[in-house]
Amino acid sequence: MASYSSLLPTAARSILPSCRPALRPSPMATFLPALQQVRAASQARKKDSKASKKKKGPKEFKQKDLKDMQQYALCDAMRYLRAFEVGREPTAAKYEVHVRLKTRRDGPVIRNMLRFPHSVQTESRICVVCPPGTRHEKEARAAGAVLVGEQEVFDAVKAGKIEFDRCLCHPDSLEALNKAGLGRILGPRGLMPSAKTGTVVEDIAVRVEMLRGGTVYRERDAVIRVPIGQLGFTPEQLRDNLRATIEQIKKDAAGLNDRITKQVYEVVLSSTHGPGFSLNGDFKSDNSPDPAVLQGV
Amino acid sequence: MVNLFKRMRKLKTVRLLNIQVGTGAATFPSATSATKEFPAITRLHLTYARKIYGGHQGARHFWRNCLPRLKYYNPAVPMTVRQTDQQDGPAALTIYFSERASNAATLLAGKVTDQHAPEPAATEQSVVLDVKNLDYKDIWTKVKNMTGAQEIPPSAEQQAELQKLEQMRQQADKDRMRIAAIRQAKADQERMLQEARGEVEKLKQL
Repeated sequence: MASYSSLLPTAARSILPSCRPALRPSPMATFLPALQQVRAASQARKKDSKASKKKKGPKEFKQKDLKDMQQYALCDAMRYLRAFEVGREPTAAKYEVHVRLKTRRDGPVIRNMLRFPHSVQTESRICVVCPPGTRHEKEARAAGAVLVGEQEVFDAVKAGKIEFDRCLCHPDSLEALNKAGLGRILGPRGLMPSAKTGTVVEDIAVRVEMLRGGTVYRERDAVIRVPIGQLGFTPEQLRDNLRATIEQIKKDAAGLNDRITKQVYEVVLSSTHGPGFSLNGDFKSDNSPDPAVLQGV
Repeated sequence: MVNLFKRMRKLKTVRLLNIQVGTGAATFPSATSATKEFPAITRLHLTYARKIYGGHQGARHFWRNCLPRLKYYNPAVPMTVRQTDQQDGPAALTIYFSERASNAATLLAGKVTDQHAPEPAATEQSVVLDVKNLDYKDIWTKVKNMTGAQEIPPSAEQQAELQKLEQMRQQADKDRMRIAAIRQAKADQERMLQEARGEVEKLKQL
């Protein structure tokens, strides 16, 4: 199909374009601006209200109704998890707990450090730099640091023997440490003590204790996830650790602020390779095995 | 978090059922249920290489499929698995009997030695089973014969669950076909419209 204008006689073709502009502008121009303005204003108002609504959203995290959830006793969950973890490296596989909180989306989050009654990590080795022959040295050794001293530590590190996972320093020997120029060796490994990371401290013994058995946790999207036990733990050991965790979290929640309430909503036990089991708070049920057999590999 | 029903179905009917029913769902004779013929089992140890060539596939599958079920029904029996890098090394299952090995076990025992298996204690006797080039089901039959393990048949409830899962699988196949047809029809329609539109454009350009 050819365009219409080509079919028209030449005279008509010349008339059409000329009459189009002549017909339109005057009446359109009178009412259009007003109409446009009105429309623009109404749209703008709508957009504003929408944007603010989107920003707000629900104030609380959405919580699922636990009525639909099958919950397990601790021993039953352990029996399943141990089956899922069979043949895994016993030091690598761990029990984890996921604590779901009932909380607002905004506001402060829980973050803290926790000491378990039964240590979860295989002992981390700690090095302490402090003046030899002082009270601090004795305390550090008593608290379980493997490498303590000044010059001997520097020599060992310079020789390439770094047989520790954490390094602490006493303020008195900070100068000696900086002079020794270990930053190049320890820095990239994240072991160089500095006041910023809290590894230069006065009361070394307390810190060593904390580092040896402490686990850091924080709340993310209303859930706190913490490893709470090695796979070889007995149910009693796991129960003690679980209880300590929940109590600590409750204490944290109570200590936050008067106006903010956080409650523990659900506790889920899981493991490195296993699924999650929502716990019902019982230690064992009627058909769970003898707790004594749920230990070891 | 995923919808609770989805989560529970996945956990209960798929993962947990899978651990309760299937090859290897059996109890070993324990200290109380041991007979003269089949003494109690105290430990298991499995060694195989990291890759499957050289006949190590069955051993890995045995670990994946059977060991969780065995562990579920025999929580007191320690089971260890060792993965080696020696592809031409042994693939062996070591079974530890208390006091003495069963007759069947000594008959079926392979002539391999497994240096990764822990030494038997004074009150234990270990038997090594060569599992190279064996399917995991064959391994399980051998283990069953050697130890006199009692298989646990699925209960009525579990069978019903299994049936339900099977039904759902069939329904899913049907639904998949149906949805695929609908999507195809929609795509065809779209294409036809597109072609028609293209023709109009072409005509306009002329």
